[in-house]
Amino acid sequence: MTENDREVLRVAGLSGDTARWSRTFDYLIIVVAAFLVLAVTYINFLLLAGDWDFFTDFKDRQYWVVIYPIVQIMMAAAFQAVFWTLFRLPFGATASAFLFGLGVWLVRYHSWMGMAHFPLTLVVPGTFMVGAMILDGILTVSRAWLVTGLFGGTLFGITFYASNWIVFAPYFQPVENMGQLSSLADVIGYVFPRAGTPEYIRIIERGTLRTFSDSSTWVSVFFSCFICIFMYMLWWLIGAFACKAASVPTGDRFKLLFGMKPAEATK
Amino acid sequence: MKKLIKRLLVACLGLSAVLGGGGDLLPAMVEAHGERATEPYIRTRTVHWYDMTWSKDSIAVNDTYTIKGKFRLFSDWPDAAARPELLYVSAYGPGAVLTRVESRLNGLPAQQSFRGGELGRDYEFEITMKGRVPGRWHVHTIVQVEGAGAIVGPGKWIEVTGSASDYKQSLETMTGNKIDDLQTYKVADAQRYHLFLGAFALAWLLWWLRRPLIIPRWLAIQKGRSDLLVRPIDDKVAAAMVGVMLLITVVGYHNATQAYPYTVPLRGGWTKIPTQPLPEEKVRVDLTHAEYDVPGRSLRMRANITNTLDKPVRIGEFMTAELRFINKALPAAVANVTPGYPQELLPGQGLKVDNDLLAPGETRSVYIEATDAVWEVERLVSFLSDVDSRIGGLVFFWDEKGERYVSELHGPIVPVIKGHGTHMSM
Repeated sequence: MTENDREVLRVAGLSGDTARWSRTFDYLIIVVAAFLVLAVTYINFLLLAGDWDFFTDFKDRQYWVVIYPIVQIMMAAAFQAVFWTLFRLPFGATASAFLFGLGVWLVRYHSWMGMAHFPLTLVVPGTFMVGAMILDGILTVSRAWLVTGLFGGTLFGITFYASNWIVFAPYFQPVENMGQLSSLADVIGYVFPRAGTPEYIRIIERGTLRTFSDSSTWVSVFFSCFICIFMYMLWWLIGAFACKAASVPTGDRFKLLFGMKPAEATK
Repeated sequence: MKKLIKRLLVACLGLSAVLGGGGDLLPAMVEAHGERATEPYIRTRTVHWYDMTWSKDSIAVNDTYTIKGKFRLFSDWPDAAARPELLYVSAYGPGAVLTRVESRLNGLPAQQSFRGGELGRDYEFEITMKGRVPGRWHVHTIVQVEGAGAIVGPGKWIEVTGSASDYKQSLETMTGNKIDDLQTYKVADAQRYHLFLGAFALAWLLWWLRRPLIIPRWLAIQKGRSDLLVRPIDDKVAAAMVGVMLLITVVGYHNATQAYPYTVPLRGGWTKIPTQPLPEEKVRVDLTHAEYDVPGRSLRMRANITNTLDKPVRIGEFMTAELRFINKALPAAVANVTPGYPQELLPGQGLKVDNDLLAPGETRSVYIEATDAVWEVERLVSFLSDVDSRIGGLVFFWDEKGERYVSELHGPIVPVIKGHGTHMSM
């Protein structure tokens, strides 16, 4: 325990047994909070980003690059707001990304590979750990959510594509399949069939962004950065609002419903 | 205490015997795709599959077999299902137990979806599959129609033998990179990278978690001493972390683009299906009345049939929802059933027709009856509760020389319930 830790305990008025019980409470909360952060981040991802990160052949230059960071910055910002506002802990985004990573690999192994027989090449997930650590780092240094939203949101969007291209570049090598040019990811999606996912269901490479040719990825990236800034701010405010809920207001009808004595009776 | 432990042990063993040994309480392995759950109006009036052949019934891991056939996009396509403007043709088992080697529609590669399916047309397809996971798998051909969903063709069991670990799918990229196994290519690199980033993330989390946490920090904030909670050393570590992350990204991205200078985007285009002029129906079938006898499990129809050919023809088969009712009195129709066709889709009682020999140019009312429990088994009787209550299918005619003619039959259908109704007969 450092001098600073002792000073924190002293200011808090905790010492001896109280401090030890407080630490035990910490461990319990860490376990519960970890499950909560993982579940909330994962469900949010499933509902809003879903297919674009399930399969290698959905990771296109437009929608994956735009949608994934915009969706993942939501919970990163909300958890950052909660942990920072209540405890001055700048690790909400990292916790969200790290635990999501654990959950997503677990599901890829257990469900996608184990139950549906998909090879891992078809379901390699993306990650937003780089952007999340940058968000937490900027919040720590700046101690200001507006600054974090502005600079962190921008870097979150930019680093998502660049840091994932390290993994996914090999899957976009050109391959000839039945006399047609394909990416390796397309071939993987073709070879390993998905009964409920016909080819046309992929919302990829649609619209006129293709007219930017090779630059369309970076156009998408910068659009994503722009939206990430505002999405971060919105979800920070939602997270901060959640911290203000001290108790659920209850009236006499509520108390009666749950078998409690209403206020009138206790007078 | 010992007694209690013994009882618990016996209870555990009993439970595991019930769950594991008996297996009755555990869900069985899924062996089909819910094809019988698809509404009858989809199965009888959208896609009709015929001339289906399967090159093998059993293959080893890494061996291939080919499914060939035709499908008709039915003219009386129901309004409740989206028209086949965009469709995708394939074959599926339960998961990727078989892999796709090649698929073609009207001779064109069918990696992508196709635009412009036309009602009343036949389309030829060919799909080659490769054994991957050993087992006995029920594999269907499928046409997936945007807005309507999956419309499955006849399912056929295929036995895959050998070991899944022997499966290999290798290929070479156009840049000369040899990929030994498509199942695992670069997965280890992805996992190492995620672990590497995860180690940083975990270190950052532990940097904070090792200190007094929830209650002390909250109380410190309440007492206005949040300055104690983030120290100058934290600022330095945070700044270093941001720097390292940016460095990893820039160097990693640079290396990836250097290692793979030629990359292509995902394929996003669709292909127009090439077609020939629509063939004219040589034998026209106009359904005048159809009824389904619910207790008798019998479909009875009367149709005005016009033979525009210069030779006589007879009815050999009525096919709907992949069920083939064969007129066993016509040898050409019986010979048309390939030996490997799934027996459960060949109703034993076959097709009954009344005076079906149609002279050249003749138009006559013909009675057709398809009676079998398969209507119930395949859950097709609920077509009576559809909003439009119609029946559809293909009728196959043969001339004396064994040449076949395919016609569509469709029209309204009424139920016969508990002895009430019209009671058609020969």
